[in-house]
Parts: sequence; C-alpha cells; structure tokens
Amino acid sequence: MKENLTYETAYRELTKIAYDIENESVSVDVLAEKVKRASILIGYCQAKLRSTETEVNKIIKQMESNG
Amino acid sequence: MFLSSSNSIKLSQLTGHIQHELENVFAKQTFWVIADVTNHTYKSQSNYHYFELVEKDSGSSRITAKIAGRAWGNASLNILNFENDTGQKFRNDINVLIQVSVQYSSAFGMHLNLLDIDTNYSLGLFEQQRKQNLERLVKENPAFIRKVGEQYITRNNSISFNRVIQKLAIVSSETSAGYLDFKHTLDTNPYGYHFEIDNYFTLVQGEVNAAQILAKMVDAFNSNSKYDALIIIRGGGAQIDFLIFDNYDLSRAVAKFPIPVITGIGHQKNETIVDLMANTATKTPTKAAEFIIAHNRLFEESILSTQKMMLIKTLQLLTNQKERLSQLKNATCNSTKDLLHKYERNILNLSGSVLTNPRIILSNKEKDLTNIIISLRSFNKSYFNNQRGQIAHFLSLAKMMSPQNILNKGFAIVKANDKILSKSNDIQEGDELTVIFSETEIKTIVQSKSAYNEREFDL
Repeated sequence: MKENLTYETAYRELTKIAYDIENESVSVDVLAEKVKRASILIGYCQAKLRSTETEVNKIIKQMESNG
Repeated sequence: MFLSSSNSIKLSQLTGHIQHELENVFAKQTFWVIADVTNHTYKSQSNYHYFELVEKDSGSSRITAKIAGRAWGNASLNILNFENDTGQKFRNDINVLIQVSVQYSSAFGMHLNLLDIDTNYSLGLFEQQRKQNLERLVKENPAFIRKVGEQYITRNNSISFNRVIQKLAIVSSETSAGYLDFKHTLDTNPYGYHFEIDNYFTLVQGEVNAAQILAKMVDAFNSNSKYDALIIIRGGGAQIDFLIFDNYDLSRAVAKFPIPVITGIGHQKNETIVDLMANTATKTPTKAAEFIIAHNRLFEESILSTQKMMLIKTLQLLTNQKERLSQLKNATCNSTKDLLHKYERNILNLSGSVLTNPRIILSNKEKDLTNIIISLRSFNKSYFNNQRGQIAHFLSLAKMMSPQNILNKGFAIVKANDKILSKSNDIQEGDELTVIFSETEIKTIVQSKSAYNEREFDL
C-alpha cells in the first residue's frame, strides 16, 4: 500500500503519536503499532528532509555558479 | 528757371554739412537702445558685422523704426564675448540691448556703431520666455501638469519605472558625442546588463527643431514597442542650444508622454523645462545611462538579497525541522520506554496482588474448613447419642404401638369383609364381623347397634 504521505501530514501525525505516548493515552494493545507507525513516519520525514536538503544544496550550487 | 552751377553745391558739401551738424548733436554721445537685429552679415576677414536694427509695433509687428548698424574691432570682440556668455549667436531676429553711437559718413550715410551688447538683458529675455512657457504649461494643461511648491507634477513624472529599464527609445542627434557617451556607458556597464535600443535620430538643437523631436517621440509611441523609457540626449553646448528644451510644445508633450522620459541634457545652469516635465532629469548623457544602470542594479540587488534571504531561511527551516524531528524521535522513544515501564509496573503490582490474595483467601477457606471439621468431630458423638436415644424412643414407641401389644392390653381388632373397621357407620344388624384377640379370632353376628358416649378411653 502506497500511502499518500506529505511531510506535513506525517509530521503532524508523528507529533500526535508522541504527544499521546507522552501523556500515556496509548494502550498497550496499540502501543507497538503506534511506535512502529512513529518509526515509519520518522523514517519518512528524515528521508524527505534529506532529499530536500540534497535538492536545495544542488539548487544553491547552481545559483552560485550562475551568479 | 534754370539754376546756374554757381547756385549749386557739391553733394559732398551738403553731406559734409549734415555730418557737421550731426556731429554737433551726437558726437561723444552714446545710447543704450533695445532693438531687433535683421539683415545681419559677418565678414570674418575684416571681423565686421553689418546689420540693421528695427523696432516693431508690438501689436502688428509693423516696422516703426529702422536703421543700419555695424560693429567692428572692439565691438566685434564684445559680440564674441556675448555669444560665448549667452550661447546666443548674434544673428537675425534676436532682441538685444546695445550701446550705440550715431555716425554719419558722406560715403555710407547714416548708421549706428555698435559699441557694446548687454549679455544680462539677453539672458533675462531667455529666462523670461522660459518663465512664460512654464506658466502657460501649468495654466493650459491642468490635466497633466500641476505645480506644487517649486515642483512640477506631470503625468510623465508620476509614472513609475518598470523594475528593469531595458527597452529604450533614444531621441538624440546621431553624431553627438553625448549619444556616444550614453551608449558607451550602457555597453560597458560592469554588471553585463543587456539593453534593447531603438534610435530616433534627429537634430536636437535650434528651437525650430523642437517639432522634429516631438515627431520622433510620437514615432516612438506609435511603434508599439513596449519601451521602458524614452531618453532624450544632448551633449554639452552653449546655453542657446538648450532653448529647444524650453519649447512649449515639446515640454507639453514630455509632460503628457505615457512612457517615462529620462533626460540627459548636458548643461550646467538651471534645468530646462523639458527636464522639469520629464520623469527623471540627469545632468549629462553619461549620468542618464548611469541612472538606468543603477535602477537595474537596484532590482538585481533586491533579487539577490531575496535569494540570499531565501537560502538562509531554507537552511534554517531544514535545520529546525531536523532538530524537531530528532527531538520527536527521542521523545517518542523515551516516552514509549517510560510507558512500557509503567505498564510493566502496573502488571507487576497486579500480578503481585493476584499472587498474594488467592493465598490468603485459600488459607482463610482452609481455616474455615478446619473449624468445620473440628466442629463436626466434636458434635458427632452427642449427635449419634441423641439420635440413638431418639431411635430407642421411637422403638419403644413402635413397640408400644404395635397391634400385638395393643391386643395384649385387652383391645381387639374388628374386621368386616377382611377390612379393619375404625368406624361403625356401615355396619348393620346381622352383618358378620370378625373379632381378633391376641391369640384368638372370633366370628360373630351383629345383634344390635346403638350410640356409645362414654369417654373412658379418652386420655
């Protein structure tokens, strides 16, 4: 299943999970599931950040060589 | 009548006489007069100016006075100085204030010798003309020329430049040094800006050419090219050369022109009217070009600073997001561990109570059971004794109540048709009854039946 994630939605969901866990409103039944989901989201966000950074650096290099 | 030659005199005698009389009156006198110059010629070999001075009726322009004039020697030098100072050539149709002396010569007749010419008067005239034109511009064109304080607000100088001034219409003389300066400055700009330039060449001096400049501006407008600016260029020159830029029609057209006009008119003194009407006035063609380059540079700098700001913000954003993400990651890990520990503790507590409580319950139950067993044991004996007693009692009761025993006590059982009778209701006289004693059975017949009320057996 290919999810239609964006950094924004992923980050928001991640924040919610982190908040819920911190406030102990996650039951043991779904804790593993939630943490697994959080790790997927973190992985997604990190990958997105990394690719964005690479892209940005490429553009900056281009801009600098043009300027 | 025939006049003899003795009665006549020579012409030279008469003119000599006139000369003598005139010299009596005018010799050693000089006059400052205001007049217009016509029929001017200049002999450069002799440095002689020949001209006529006229005065015209201010209403009809009819000539009301006319006299020949000339200048040479020192006077010619004064004229040269005048030309240098004002930029105004000494020529036909100029109005001048001149110092003259009256001279009559027999050979050449009456004329005025020009001795000096007043520079300030002529400059004043230009200034006056300029002032009149300015006043007329404001008065007759309120739709697009207003005077606010000392500033002239025109339609043209109310237009904002495009962010980049790149497509240019240039009105200039083809051969002028000013045009070359302008082009050179643009072409060699240090930022490598490219310009698209359309030339509208025309003469840009002599007031008569104002109409040509105007026509070129109209051409530029009608070309349908999207010019960012129209530049009017003229290099340095005498002040009279700039009179064209005080021309009423040209100034009006510049004020009204829909494309921003930049002037680069190389003059040092006060601005021309065209400068005042134009969007941007610069002092020289080079400065006009520099203005355009600076304007474009400003735009580029704003782009560059936007770019820089954008880069910084982008990197900041990435860094912030990275930090926040790693914080979230740590927070999630830690709080997950905490939560797990908490659940574990809860379970341990629960399992602790689950382990201990049953034991207590069991031991309580066991105690209860033991008690019951003890009670059971202790009560057993007396219970059985009791039961035994009761059974003995029931046994003796049964023995007592046994029919044999009762029969032994003197009672008998009466049967009719093999059934024991306890009531006598169905028994009739003559019925056969069987009476059973303890050891004997008697068959008998009923002789009589009567009621029996004695209660001797009722205990």
